[in-house]
Amino acid sequence: MERIAIIEGIRTPFCKMGTEFKDLDAQELGRIATRELLERTGIAPRQIDEVIFGNVSQPADAANIARVISLLSGIPKTVPAYTVHRNCASGIEAAVQAAMKIQLEQGSCYIAGGTESMSNIPFYLSKELKEILTNLSRAKTFPQKLQTLSQIRPAYLKPRVGLEMGLTDPVCGMIMGLTAEVLAKEFGITREEQDAFALESHLRALRGKTLLREEIVPVIPPPKYRSAVEHDNGPREGQRLEALAKLKPYFDRRSGTVTVGNSSQVTDGAAALLIASEQKAKELNLKPLGFIKAYAFVGVEPHRMGIGPAHAIPQVLKKAGMRLQDIQAIEINEAFATQVLACLKALDSAAFAKEFGYEGYTGAIDRNILNVNGGAIALGHPVGTTGARLILTMLKHMNRHNLNTGLISLCVGGGQGAAVILER
Amino acid sequence: MSITYHENNNTGFIEFDQKDSKVNLLSAEILKELAAALEEARRKPHLKALVIASKKKDVFIAGADIKEIEGITQPEEGRQKAKAGQGILNKLEDLPVPTIAVIDGVALGGGCELALACQYRLATFNEKVRIGLPEVNLGIFPAFGGTYRLPRLIGLPEAMTMILTGKPVDAKKALRLGLVDRLAPQNGLDRSLNEFIEDILKGRIISNKYARRKARGLPAFLETSFLGQWLIFRRSVQSVLKNTKGFYPAPLQAIAVIKKNFYLDRTKGLEAEARGFGELATTAISKNLIHVFYISEQCRKLTVEGVSPARIEKCGVLGAGVMGGGIAQLLSYSDIWVRLKDINYDALALGVRSAAKLYRDAVKKRRMKPHEAVVKMDKITTTLDYSGFTNADIVIEAVVENMEVKRKVFRELSAAVGPQTILATNTSALSVTEMAKETKDPAKVIGLHFFNPVHKMPLVEIITTAHTSKETLASTLTLVKRLGKTPIVVKDSCGFVVNRILLGYINEAGRLLEEGLSIVAVDKIMTDFGMPMGPFTLTDEVGLDVGSKVLHILEKGLGERFKPVDIFEKVCARGFLGKKSGKGFYLYQGQHVPNPAVTAGTKPGDGAASDNEEALRRMLYLMINEAARCLEEGIVDAPGAIDVGMIFGTGFPAFHGGLLRYADTIGLAPIVAELNRLRDKFQAERFRPAAYLMKLQDEKKKFYQ
Repeated sequence: MERIAIIEGIRTPFCKMGTEFKDLDAQELGRIATRELLERTGIAPRQIDEVIFGNVSQPADAANIARVISLLSGIPKTVPAYTVHRNCASGIEAAVQAAMKIQLEQGSCYIAGGTESMSNIPFYLSKELKEILTNLSRAKTFPQKLQTLSQIRPAYLKPRVGLEMGLTDPVCGMIMGLTAEVLAKEFGITREEQDAFALESHLRALRGKTLLREEIVPVIPPPKYRSAVEHDNGPREGQRLEALAKLKPYFDRRSGTVTVGNSSQVTDGAAALLIASEQKAKELNLKPLGFIKAYAFVGVEPHRMGIGPAHAIPQVLKKAGMRLQDIQAIEINEAFATQVLACLKALDSAAFAKEFGYEGYTGAIDRNILNVNGGAIALGHPVGTTGARLILTMLKHMNRHNLNTGLISLCVGGGQGAAVILER
Repeated sequence: MSITYHENNNTGFIEFDQKDSKVNLLSAEILKELAAALEEARRKPHLKALVIASKKKDVFIAGADIKEIEGITQPEEGRQKAKAGQGILNKLEDLPVPTIAVIDGVALGGGCELALACQYRLATFNEKVRIGLPEVNLGIFPAFGGTYRLPRLIGLPEAMTMILTGKPVDAKKALRLGLVDRLAPQNGLDRSLNEFIEDILKGRIISNKYARRKARGLPAFLETSFLGQWLIFRRSVQSVLKNTKGFYPAPLQAIAVIKKNFYLDRTKGLEAEARGFGELATTAISKNLIHVFYISEQCRKLTVEGVSPARIEKCGVLGAGVMGGGIAQLLSYSDIWVRLKDINYDALALGVRSAAKLYRDAVKKRRMKPHEAVVKMDKITTTLDYSGFTNADIVIEAVVENMEVKRKVFRELSAAVGPQTILATNTSALSVTEMAKETKDPAKVIGLHFFNPVHKMPLVEIITTAHTSKETLASTLTLVKRLGKTPIVVKDSCGFVVNRILLGYINEAGRLLEEGLSIVAVDKIMTDFGMPMGPFTLTDEVGLDVGSKVLHILEKGLGERFKPVDIFEKVCARGFLGKKSGKGFYLYQGQHVPNPAVTAGTKPGDGAASDNEEALRRMLYLMINEAARCLEEGIVDAPGAIDVGMIFGTGFPAFHGGLLRYADTIGLAPIVAELNRLRDKFQAERFRPAAYLMKLQDEKKKFYQ
């Protein structure tokens, strides 16, 4: 089967929720990355067969956001587009969709990416208030209207926070942070270990600032267009362990270990990848950054969703016919420090490998090849985007250091894991 | 025959299809044919309705024949012409059967008035539908009953706006105003028309056309009360005076006529209209405005024979300053992708910010929907390197006005762009040929001189070098027209046309100031002449540094006469750069008064060498003389290009017909004599009449012959 080339990729800087990008819609972020990808590669937009974007919060004013991004980016209206949603793995899902379509010979050239504006996830009205407002619009006479309005109680005015609802698993009823607490307890991961991991993420991200610049298009954000945002604004200069240690556990205030400091940041950002068959890349005279070798998605218990990578990684290795030691660089998304640490422990455990039949496909992961330029704890985790960002970051890293193999993996809200092996 | 009559199912159809023409015009000839057709219809008692339509694509009737208006020499002749048209349209209005105008395209001037005389109007959803009365632009007003019928049909305030601004409305607006009764899809128009006729016959639409619109609340009060109407008239006069400074009589006369005939019956009202028209049509201003219409239409229709222009989809813009940012916005507004490059992100942010502000204002003023602004704004992307330039169709360079920098930029560009890319420079005075030398393909190099502020100024000077190819010119012309600008084509030479003529005048204003005339006095001389602003106000707007820089370039290229006067150098050296620095010839912080520091060291006012009339002649005749030199050197091929350039590039008063038309009005002999006199008086070579001017004078010719 034909190899799937990732020709080039670009992303916006990642900005913490409510900061520089708060007035950029998800579709605008996606448009910026996509258009820049077209400009930098110089590819004629008509060469694109389809546009696929991952997005989690699915803004109400941009239904099928991939189509909106496609049109805003100047891709011909005749090119179709669709949006995918696999929660935190939506960005990977978009890339994998492109790969599958190429292998099925549905097309040969795709733009796949992810976009998320967590700043713009709305608050919802309470159900009671919604009903009153609906009745109000039906009321005909003034007394009727007054009567309807009089039913409003102060409690009804409390909005439901969209972000919180999105991060809460409807099946197990837990917010993501609590699922991380489950893993911390199960694997005996201490607060200190988590904080140290978080600090390392910040230090690596700060060290890698100029390197990461290679994958970033600076953005001059509205409404003031005052200056350009050229870097991710998540990594904290002068972050100290003591400061992290002072933070109160956020999800389980009494006995928890997960704090906002050792969790991923809530962030806005988008990434776009140009994906083509190897043949098409040659025709277009474009040199690929690398290729998709294999991918895997797995399911796990929703209340242990953070363990996903520990299952996805051996499974994808098996698919690729590779061993962990064949992999030269690894990115595991840092949804929570404890969750990454739990995955590392599981992968390093013979009992775990035996229990799930992963023998030969697990082992200890060298921290020196893991998340070398920091992860979501420092850079942020715009949920729909991260999967695409990991592919991009990994490929740039592999090219920089002339590495042949790389593996990326994420845990997925709702209890899934995803992993992709990249090669050059 | 340009008008045909036929019947179908007891409905009469009068169809306009002017011979050998893309459009229908209401010429005297065609009016006669219309009269005959109406007479024929009147004699058919079995008719249930009469439809007036056009067989031209996207055109109902484009207006009257301007040549006929231009030919009117006596007020009485004008009155008679108006009466003749009115009589025929009255006949139409008085037909006993329902009459319906079917408007599937432009219905302007007389075309609009014809539709107004019908009892009903049906327009289509065609985007090309434009209905309006643009007569004021030609120094006249509608005189086939337009001033009588329109206020009655759509209400006084809206009618005044349409007649006084001359701006046409689209189909949707026309429906909202009540100017048309219904919109129908173009597809299946026959069926829609039949339904419309059915509805009319069944009485579903009020038969009195003036009674169909219902105004409520305050607007109704304003329209129906005498006091309200008085207020509307008063406010209209004020706003016209504010916009035209009283230089244009037509809108004021239009108000006067409407104010009269609004209270008269049709016969008397139309008589007032015809008389007013006759007076206006014979004014020099109307003739001048018609002249300006012709020469600007000529420029707007410029094409290059034998080559097909390349389609421009994407444009690189170099430099995100005032001009670069403005050009980027203009391009994006016309749905062209823009790759904006500068040397740092602060500079880029400035350009993006200025574009965003224009879009925000447009949304605020409801000229654009928010989503339209987003889509257009999204067409601008920024970069520090040349990425994205390879597949640009054109690059417009707007970096600092310095030949060394421009050369370097063109060298870089030539390596960065593709073989299809046109390279344009937005220089205001530097040699395009010099820049072209730095490129691999000088045939692709051209000058595109936009004026500041880019979104407002309607002129673009297109500068061709000896190497510029026909294809390059054709594509660039198409682009400029697509941007909604009026092009003039100029051969590469120092200062091109507009700046060359303008700066001699500014420099002379500086001399007048040195000689003792005050800043305010000199500015007033020119605003009284009709310029939108005086030379010092203009210089403050543009920036003294910019003006002085261009003068130096002109001095170097064209000689001594452009040597900047000392006062410019002095003022500039003290950091008074104009509006942008808060101080120039005027102060811009707090009170807007002349900057006392500028004239501190000069002679007192009573020692001035020229009185106001002479000062005006010095400034104007120098411009005329320089324009003659431009024609002499063959930089432009016709005086029309210069007049279009000066009117749309510098605001030279259109009611004078342009600089050279004005010269023709004065007469070339008196101008040459005065130039010679000034030359003797001031011992100044700059007043020596150009050879071209002398030649025209000797041959007793004019600029326009």
